[in-house]
Amino acid sequence: MTSATLLPLPGQFSPLSRILAADDFDRGMNGWMDLRPNFVDEGFAAHSRELDFESWGSVMLSSATFPFAGTHGSASGTYSLRLATRSEAAGATERPASGSMSLAIKRLSRPLRATRLKVEALVAYTTEQDRPGLGVDAMRAFGLFVDLQDGDHRYMPGVRYVNAVDGVRVRRWQYYTETTASASEWNYGEPGWHQPGVDPQWFGERHADGSTAATAWFEGPQQQLIYNETDDKINWMPLALEVDLVARTYTSLSAGDREYSFPQKARPTLAPTYDNIGGLVNPVFFVETDGDRRVSLYLDSVVVSYATADDDRAGASR
Amino acid sequence: MKQFYTAVTDLRRRVTADFATFPYETGWADEATYFVTIEESSQHAVGVQLAVQLSADGIRWHDEGTTMSVASGSAEFARLTHFGGFLRLAGTVESADGQQDAWVVVTVRLALKG
Repeated sequence: MTSATLLPLPGQFSPLSRILAADDFDRGMNGWMDLRPNFVDEGFAAHSRELDFESWGSVMLSSATFPFAGTHGSASGTYSLRLATRSEAAGATERPASGSMSLAIKRLSRPLRATRLKVEALVAYTTEQDRPGLGVDAMRAFGLFVDLQDGDHRYMPGVRYVNAVDGVRVRRWQYYTETTASASEWNYGEPGWHQPGVDPQWFGERHADGSTAATAWFEGPQQQLIYNETDDKINWMPLALEVDLVARTYTSLSAGDREYSFPQKARPTLAPTYDNIGGLVNPVFFVETDGDRRVSLYLDSVVVSYATADDDRAGASR
Repeated sequence: MKQFYTAVTDLRRRVTADFATFPYETGWADEATYFVTIEESSQHAVGVQLAVQLSADGIRWHDEGTTMSVASGSAEFARLTHFGGFLRLAGTVESADGQQDAWVVVTVRLALKG
């Protein structure tokens, strides 16, 4: 079976030569689920309590059905994977509020001789149409990262589209970068399970402009992704992030019809390894609300692909 | 084979007075089972009364007709069919003395098949 026949919408994706997963949500959840903590303490309590890790909005198969438009469906078929928040957010400089995010994770492992990894998806987002008007500024951010561990480091390359912060429009992409935060600074003043750089979607100081202790802005103009003109119209847009597993750096990001260049020294924080997760490859998508409204990120198909050293050599000799 | 998915829509959520569980899309499923567990409760909380609700859009809700009564420290379930695209539970915390600050910690699991 060729790569193309595994993909639900071949023209929407540009995978590397080997497909690790091609998930069409018309065929179920495909192993995507809520990102939840480790329930390993007394009474099955979560291992980490710096914030409420148990109330993120549950992910679901969605028909994208709205009050006046009816069922939107997905780019191909009826169902997409929906990440929906609850209707509560903290201020920009505070730690994330209970239920202010929704996160979807799929748990894979590093294939033999992999040198590059690419995660692609068709995405759309909207605000719950629970009041008149246009909810284009209700979402704080959405993004994608990959939780990785090799023999030497755990690291999380990722990107985040900051839409609005405390109601102020931002419309710019940032990437996860190295942090100099101490463990205490990273974990909101508590000792913390999380090494600096691990789980930057939640940890590290938050700033009023939407940046954090472990994010850096891409240079260039703002990018207004398609929100459309009402809360019940969504447009499917391609999103692709490629990372170099050997150098532990970024290769490329594209969103919609725009490509972004990473600065030469851009890289996520290289944290020490954790026990029992060597070879981890966990792609994660997330969405964050900016206020008292529920916001949703929809994924129609996710493709995870990789290349090996052999592929890279073959490409170089062509 | 059929699809199956269990969503833990509300995990150890502390609730008081009137509340609603996390709305969940169920359009693909033929059958649903809600499992509700009360994990902790305040001294005067005797349990929760729950009504299954369905919706055409996930925003405007109707009582489906099924109700559940869950006592503090116990767990119950309700089996459902023909529920359309969205489900949630609307609940009320009941206290022995009518105090409004009675609370319970509730876990809600929704098992879907279709």
